[in-house]
Amino acid sequence: MLLERCAAGDPGALQRLYELTSPLLFGCLNRMLHRRALAEEALQDVFVSIWQRAAQFRASRGRPMAWMMSIARYRAIDLLRKERAAPALVAELPEPAAESLQSQDPSETWAAPQGMLERCLALLNERQRQCLELAFLGGKSHEDISRLTGSPLGTVKSWIRRALQSLRSCLEA
Amino acid sequence: MTPHEPQIVDALAAEYVLGTLRGAARRRFAHWRASSALVQERCRFWEEHLVALTARIRPERPPPHVWEGIRARLNLARSGSLPGARAARARRPGRTAAIAASVLLVAGMATLVYWRLQTGPLSETATLSAPSGTSLWSVEVYGRSGRLIVRSAQPPARPTDRDYELWALPAGGQPVSLGVLPPRGVQQRMLSTSQLQSLLNSAQIAVTLEQSGGSPSGQPTSKPLFIAPLHVVT
Repeated sequence: MLLERCAAGDPGALQRLYELTSPLLFGCLNRMLHRRALAEEALQDVFVSIWQRAAQFRASRGRPMAWMMSIARYRAIDLLRKERAAPALVAELPEPAAESLQSQDPSETWAAPQGMLERCLALLNERQRQCLELAFLGGKSHEDISRLTGSPLGTVKSWIRRALQSLRSCLEA
Repeated sequence: MTPHEPQIVDALAAEYVLGTLRGAARRRFAHWRASSALVQERCRFWEEHLVALTARIRPERPPPHVWEGIRARLNLARSGSLPGARAARARRPGRTAAIAASVLLVAGMATLVYWRLQTGPLSETATLSAPSGTSLWSVEVYGRSGRLIVRSAQPPARPTDRDYELWALPAGGQPVSLGVLPPRGVQQRMLSTSQLQSLLNSAQIAVTLEQSGGSPSGQPTSKPLFIAPLHVVT
């Protein structure tokens, strides 16, 4: 288990982990941040954070890719927030956020199984799916999605809330 | 923030993971997560499931200087150079073969995983057979990438001006065309989002005989000649 070896201080394990997962994490960061240089900085933050927090990972609680992707996405959301608050300071990247994330993957399967989610997404209408993708993959806020879709803010919040309720019911069925 | 009804906790966790919980509420929720087993569990639930959305992301190889930056920030030894990067130092001759083998192994694994990220695992399969049991076509669906592979085994004869057309049969919906079947060999094609969703919402696929090039109306013009169940690959 590469994350366990990272927790034990094995640099080779981090290197291997980077080789295996950085393309997907970088693709995600690029899509959320829209600026390659910022995504590169964020990816560095993410792997520094993975190295420092690898001991928090518990394989019994989840898959490594979900854990690492969450670190990457939350980092991007944090950067987007800071960028809006102080656009001139975007280049001055802060230290990684100290969020407490604990999800892991005993099988070390880096690609996420999607069959169950895809089946549940198929139950949503097109606007609901679009909202979820804009938020999760694009890092868009309710307000962003409202502007992009030309829909009232309250309607967008309602679509997302109902989509998540539907997904939960389907995923837990 | 104090514990609330589980439904409220779950709703907040879902929006936190989705990314639509923002600002001070997001920061408060992150602190709450650190101290609440329920909040942690609900966040993990959503992280584990929603991560599958990242199958829609095209993987991109970051430039080499990113890894160098990570290595420098963590003060890791130079041995952490990525495969393919030029070794700046001369190595002892006796170790060259072993190092080269290791590099090739790692590069091979990276390539394999990169391919897997792009194509994704096999999601569903089906075999269309004649009533006699003879296998006609086998179908493979790669849900992550939206790729459909059809292999012709012993397809039945057809008039020259006709084609066999494949259909998804989504629950509660109209048949959705997946294209004309190949008369021989292997055919790969990328499904549209609507085709893939229809297919993933189908328990069966079917084949009809249509005019050359497929049904012009987008709907079957005859009853199915062959029907096969889709098997989910676990």
